[in-house]
Amino acid sequence: MSIIQDVLIIVLAFWMVIDQQGPVITTWFPVIVAMIAGFILGDIQTAMVIGGTFQLMALGVANIGGSSVPNYGLAALVGVYVAVRTTGNIVDAKAAALAVGVPVGMLGIQLDVLGKILTNPLAHKAQQYARDGQYKRMNRTILLAPVLFGLTTAIPTALFVIFGKPIVTFILEVLPKWFTNGLSIAGGILPVVGIGILISMMPIQKHLMYLIIGFVAAAYLKMPMMGVALIGAAVAYNFFVQKVAADKNVSTVGATEANIEDGDFDE
Amino acid sequence: MSNEQQEKHLTKKDIRRTALRWQFMTSNAYNYESQQAAGVVFSLSKALRKIYKDDEAGYKSSLDNHFKFFNTTGPAASLILGATLAMEDREGKKAQPAVQSLKTGLMGPLAGVGDTIFWVLIPTVFGSIAAYMGLQGNPTGAIIWLLVNIAVFLFRIKIFEWGYATGTRLVTDLGSKLNAFTEAASIMGLTVIGALIPSVIKMNLATTFATGKVTMSVQKDILDAIMPSLLPAVLTYIVYRIVRTNKLSISKIIWLLIGFSLVLSYFGILKP
Repeated sequence: MSIIQDVLIIVLAFWMVIDQQGPVITTWFPVIVAMIAGFILGDIQTAMVIGGTFQLMALGVANIGGSSVPNYGLAALVGVYVAVRTTGNIVDAKAAALAVGVPVGMLGIQLDVLGKILTNPLAHKAQQYARDGQYKRMNRTILLAPVLFGLTTAIPTALFVIFGKPIVTFILEVLPKWFTNGLSIAGGILPVVGIGILISMMPIQKHLMYLIIGFVAAAYLKMPMMGVALIGAAVAYNFFVQKVAADKNVSTVGATEANIEDGDFDE
Repeated sequence: MSNEQQEKHLTKKDIRRTALRWQFMTSNAYNYESQQAAGVVFSLSKALRKIYKDDEAGYKSSLDNHFKFFNTTGPAASLILGATLAMEDREGKKAQPAVQSLKTGLMGPLAGVGDTIFWVLIPTVFGSIAAYMGLQGNPTGAIIWLLVNIAVFLFRIKIFEWGYATGTRLVTDLGSKLNAFTEAASIMGLTVIGALIPSVIKMNLATTFATGKVTMSVQKDILDAIMPSLLPAVLTYIVYRIVRTNKLSISKIIWLLIGFSLVLSYFGILKP
């Protein structure tokens, strides 16, 4: 039974990165990966707590435009695995998951870069096959690339599945309390990175007030996230309708220089 | 539409199959030099073979054309690739230069829209909801997100079909509305991000203040009285400024914050 679980965890690690770069259904986002891992290991509750912790760190840290970012999905997967297998309670599980997951997630950056370098000769080879008219070989060569990417996450996971238990028990026994506490604190602080990146990608100068609205709703009114998302959706919908109407009016005016049907736009 | 008189080689089934191939491949053959190009070739090769059935040279030059640099958000690429496939289906080899310029012309602007919606908005909204429920040990939020992803996946296949059905027209028609949509989406995003700051970032000062008999907790009695989540808000601003300057890589910022947490933990200034 536990061997089947181990194999499934490694398969999940292999699939995770391929899904993230393709269909984006199970993705490598920590909560979803953790949920599937928890299902495999038969402890969804612990898995969700760990997945939620890593998900908060991962918010906003997206690999846009081919950039490499910490693989928090891999962090969550390895974290959930070692936590469920080596610890008996949620507090220890979280400490173990953070102690193992954070460095593994950071290692994910290097592995991703390595993958994207190794696929380069594959593309050249495939193009050569195309020129030679060997189209089947061309497609088979291209298919090696996802296999390569799958291995970048499957191999580190496999190492933890095979050698993980002694490493983690050792880590938890040897590491001082302030160190594991520090990692928990880092877990609480690190989401700031994603949020900082998100804000810098948004038209913040123009729309600062919506950031403040969201902040007030959560900090002062203690509104749950879904409620804030609904406020955001309402405001965004209103903006969209007004903007489309305004654009339409502008272009109608530009084309015919007359006939403003509804004149209640204010630009 | 007067395009119908031209001979077409692809059936609806071919289009759907090509769309599926693209959804599964997207960035899975990514490399630093030509980026998604090999994935594009893999996805379109079967359909192109059908278009250039008796034209070996045309097929080869088409593949060569698609081996050129290409990179944009998956769903946006669905629209572009659907449209270019329609062009090659109608015009054959003649369309190849236009295909190349359409691809390079649209991948930039559509990546901006696509990234905002598919990599920022959806993961931020559903990710934070799922994370919150997750911290309570509840998988409901994660399941909702999974269902949303399935819906988006089906939608992406539809986008490919739209792209094929309307060729280049759709993209230009949507142009002005897409901008308004992106801006509206970022408004929603900013509202959610504003709420994320106090609910996601946790910083607890362990320090207390003793004056005579009264002990004051710095966190509870001073900071929280000024503004709830003051420290997270300040830290967000600092990190935002660092990110803006582009001087430190993201992973350096992360390492710095981990070090910062360990130091503060060691001296007992912050508690978990």
